[in-house]
Amino acid sequence: MTALMQPGFWVFILTMSGIYGIFTLGLQIQYGVGGILNFGHVGMMALSSYTMAILIISHGINFWIAAAIGVAVAALGGALLGLTTLRLRRDYFAIASIAFSEIVRYVIYNSDGLTGGVQGSLAIPVTGENYPSYTDTWDSIINRARDILTPIFGEIVDRDFVMAIIVWTTLGILLLIVSRVERTSWARVLRATREDDEVPAALGKNVFRFRFQAVIIGSVIGGIAGIFWGLQSSLLSPDDFLTLVTFYGWMILILAGATKVKGLPIAAIFFGFLYGGSRFFTFWPFSMLDASERAYVRIMIIGIVLIILMMSRPQGIFGKRQEMVLE
Amino acid sequence: MAEFVQLLFNGLVAGSIFGIAALGISLVYSVLRLVNFAAGDFLTLGAFTTFFLATSIHLPFIVAVLLSMLLGVVISLILEFLLWRKLRRTGAGLLALFLVATGVAFVLRQTISLIFGGNSQKFDIDQIKTFEFLGAQIAQAQLAVLCCASVAITFIALFIKKSTIGKNMRAYADNPSLASVSGINVDRVIIATWTISGAFGALAGVFQGTVQGQFTNGMGLDLFLSILAAVILGTIGDAYGALIGGFVLGVVMELSTWDALLGGIPSTYKPVVAFAVLVIVLLFKPEGIFGVKARKV
Amino acid sequence: MNNLILEVNDVAVSFGGVRAVNGATLDVEVGSVTSVIGPNGAGKTTLFNLISGAIRPDSGTILFEGLEIQNLFPHKIADRGIIRTFQGAKVIKRLSVLDNLMLGGQNNPGDSLVNFFNPKARKAYEVQCHDRAMELLQQIGLERFAHEYAGILSGGQRKLLDLARALMANPILLLLDEPFAGINPTLVEKLLEVLHALRTKHNLTFLLIEHNLETVMNISDRVIVMAEGRVIADGKPNSIYENQAVIDAYLGTRKAFK
Repeated sequence: MTALMQPGFWVFILTMSGIYGIFTLGLQIQYGVGGILNFGHVGMMALSSYTMAILIISHGINFWIAAAIGVAVAALGGALLGLTTLRLRRDYFAIASIAFSEIVRYVIYNSDGLTGGVQGSLAIPVTGENYPSYTDTWDSIINRARDILTPIFGEIVDRDFVMAIIVWTTLGILLLIVSRVERTSWARVLRATREDDEVPAALGKNVFRFRFQAVIIGSVIGGIAGIFWGLQSSLLSPDDFLTLVTFYGWMILILAGATKVKGLPIAAIFFGFLYGGSRFFTFWPFSMLDASERAYVRIMIIGIVLIILMMSRPQGIFGKRQEMVLE
Repeated sequence: MAEFVQLLFNGLVAGSIFGIAALGISLVYSVLRLVNFAAGDFLTLGAFTTFFLATSIHLPFIVAVLLSMLLGVVISLILEFLLWRKLRRTGAGLLALFLVATGVAFVLRQTISLIFGGNSQKFDIDQIKTFEFLGAQIAQAQLAVLCCASVAITFIALFIKKSTIGKNMRAYADNPSLASVSGINVDRVIIATWTISGAFGALAGVFQGTVQGQFTNGMGLDLFLSILAAVILGTIGDAYGALIGGFVLGVVMELSTWDALLGGIPSTYKPVVAFAVLVIVLLFKPEGIFGVKARKV
Repeated sequence: MNNLILEVNDVAVSFGGVRAVNGATLDVEVGSVTSVIGPNGAGKTTLFNLISGAIRPDSGTILFEGLEIQNLFPHKIADRGIIRTFQGAKVIKRLSVLDNLMLGGQNNPGDSLVNFFNPKARKAYEVQCHDRAMELLQQIGLERFAHEYAGILSGGQRKLLDLARALMANPILLLLDEPFAGINPTLVEKLLEVLHALRTKHNLTFLLIEHNLETVMNISDRVIVMAEGRVIADGKPNSIYENQAVIDAYLGTRKAFK
């Protein structure tokens, strides 16, 4: 239990939660407003983080530009997904979107020369045994921020601490922007399309355009999450981008109540604790399991939470019951 | 030519497995309006329980397979009574069904992983024995799978077509409310659906394990998306369509690696081919190959 | 050249081998109230779906203000000024009644994401749109429900909302699909009142679908009778009574004239 007393553990949980929070915000605008069942969201995260890493390592491109291009590629991925499959029935789209992210993962997995393949991030041996790093610029930014923050917060300030602050500031800004966007008449139309295609179309609204835009916005936000994911882990592997991750996002979204953004940070922290905290489940009965078995249990618990949640409180912790009843 | 025959044969074997698994998913969808995301893990379950019963407890292989199918049915029915029934009564939406099915998949997969660990396993079957046919090397194990799968497919197809319960299943799938008022025992239809899906999902898993040689806890999951592609290709909810979709995909996926076809693609990209085929078909015919243009009233 | 606002020429469409509309030809004069009646399965709603672009015809042309529209997307047709209501009234249940109405606002700058960065233009329009919507809500007597979910409205109230929402969209031609079906007589009076006021004030053109002739007798300038996907009679309401084809189509039950 001692791990739970360490501030470092909580900072780690907070950083993870923040990244997952941003990731889920992308799903929120797609499903919570537009009713779009995107189960391939993790693909956007994979696209942006790999694009950034490849551009920095293999082409020596400036970090900021590489990150921006990474997000743009995620948006492009969203556009590709939207153009090919968004006109399909809702359940077909859900399945096609899973396929999209799996295809992204397969390509990463099998393009050893470009991505390092299964070995993990661009594990192209340069000199000696060092992995080429794409986080140099970022590390220096973190260090500078650390010098500024240490006098304020004291010794607790380490790399993770600064990361947590940056991630949560970004999440805060994005939440603010998205909640503003969701008060526009654009969002009103999108909300209408969640229930029905014919009514908005009969009133002169191009339903496809609204949905497409929602997918792009969601993909951009997912892409931003991917950049942070890449910077946080500093070593990418195709296994970071399993469809499982998309479902983590869905779990957070449902916990938070899909239609409102305000519950999202708390739901993200709850998930972060469940996810990160369960590796510290060293007490009985978990003490009988070894580390890899505990990893199985962790995903199993998330599966059980998902089932119980959908069975008993599908509107989430903060959602309105009425919105679900009227569905 | 030899390579073509080889690939075609491999494709037929893969297709027969896809077909059986796809049929279960399509049947469940047509009766219960549920895309069973846990279906892939029922394949894994079938392969691992058969492995356990045959290799560790030394039961005869065929007994082990039958018991695995039984386990698939039992678990399917437990889930029906525990989850799906309640969700149907509360009128759960698409998302609720998707996410619960996903949760079930997580629990099932991790339970298998906990029990059997992350290592790959193999059946006690001779994979090496082959014979030559038109220049191609045909493995006896694969041929056996193709034959057994064909028998299984014929059995299910006849069952759906001829048996009373099969006819009721089709009637219920076509029009649930009409079927219920016309005296069809809905509970029996649903139980039959889960029975077929559970039993033949497990069987497909045994087939796949046999063909692959070695298999891990991710076997079903890896296969699931290709199976789903077959389901949609054959129009979701259409049992025969799923069979055909399965065979088409199996053959196309294998042939896509053929050198003579523009050099062929690396075999690791086979699942990508499955979805490329699917997306192309859907672009031109959004309702699937056998679907009918929906009437807007 | 002529005062026809809508011309439907030999339009046909089939679903899975069944011809839902089978060579229908009809036209609508500017400023008129035209009613399409016919038994169930006559293809009336399919005709509406064709005109509003929800489905595309297999053959034939549809002209609105002299221009072909049969291959346009529904939203493009709505942009031109053809606005429809739905059989049984469709409301967006999980939007407030007010939001349902405001959905009808046309050329809303806030519908474009670019204008997210132009809050002035967005807000100016929203205020104007809001006032217009509240005014309409008062007219149909639903203002006390403005901030409730539309899903709680009764069937009749939904019809009023559906109609009011169509009016928000500034239609030139209004397609009303069974506006009076299943509504109590007092509400029908109210609806007729609203429609009459509109007609005189905005010079709207109406195309209605009705199951029974009786309902539309007094308000229609012209009645078109459909059966089995075709137009079988067309004329002044009174002349329809004597039409033998119409009587046959209703299987001699005279259900339409009861």
